[in-house]
Amino acid sequence: MHSIFSRINNVSALLSSCTMALLAAIALSTLVFNADPKGDLAIASIKVYPGTTRRYAKTKQDLAFVNFNITADLTPLFHWNTKQLFLYLEAEYINAQGVKNDVVIWDRIVRRKEDANINVAGKNKYNFRELSASFKNVPPANYSLKYNVMPYVGYLTYGEIAKTVEPVAFPRSQPRV
Amino acid sequence: MSNLLQSIPEGRIDFAGQKLVDTISKIVLITAVVISFIAGFALQDIRVTFGLFGASTALLSLVVLPPWPMFNQHPVKWLDSKGNGKEKAS
Repeated sequence: MHSIFSRINNVSALLSSCTMALLAAIALSTLVFNADPKGDLAIASIKVYPGTTRRYAKTKQDLAFVNFNITADLTPLFHWNTKQLFLYLEAEYINAQGVKNDVVIWDRIVRRKEDANINVAGKNKYNFRELSASFKNVPPANYSLKYNVMPYVGYLTYGEIAKTVEPVAFPRSQPRV
Repeated sequence: MSNLLQSIPEGRIDFAGQKLVDTISKIVLITAVVISFIAGFALQDIRVTFGLFGASTALLSLVVLPPWPMFNQHPVKWLDSKGNGKEKAS
């Protein structure tokens, strides 16, 4: 500690320990906030049309078009360590080949507490297609709205806001008008 | 002259000053952690936490790093050098 360099060394060593302790305390304090808000999710309509996607432009395949309504109050998820929320609507179904699929068809990033009162009447943001190119013989799908809390310091937490009460069947593919 | 030039950037302080610096930095840093955590948690704003912690760190380094005169008030008093000719015989 006799020279300025050894003082810088000493103080910064203690500073890094203190910073780690502070960050750990902040991360642990998130455990106090265990709000798990619920909301409503309703599938308004679902239609299947043949079409092409940009990626597989030459393949004719079935595309599902889902309209849905979401109401949820997510303000309890915002506390001092919440940076942003990631909301996503997932379709869960087992396809005709027996493989379980979780497809994200819509998402939203909520950055502020003022925007956390969600009231959306929307449609799927991303192409909803089946890997086998057809929704024929695919059993009804469950839709669920999930969230992911991204903190400033600490670990990600996941949760489910709403889920369809009954599985929603895929209609028959109809020619585009 | 070269000794003086060297001693300015080195910022030497005496032994009592070193102990004081050690005590001050420990107390201030640990208190800053506790206070900034409690303040941020109470106000539910993480910016308060890091603002307070950063400000107290800056203030601490301003107090502790330069060789202020208060860290140099106990200079080491050396004994007179022995054996300057007279005691050679004994």
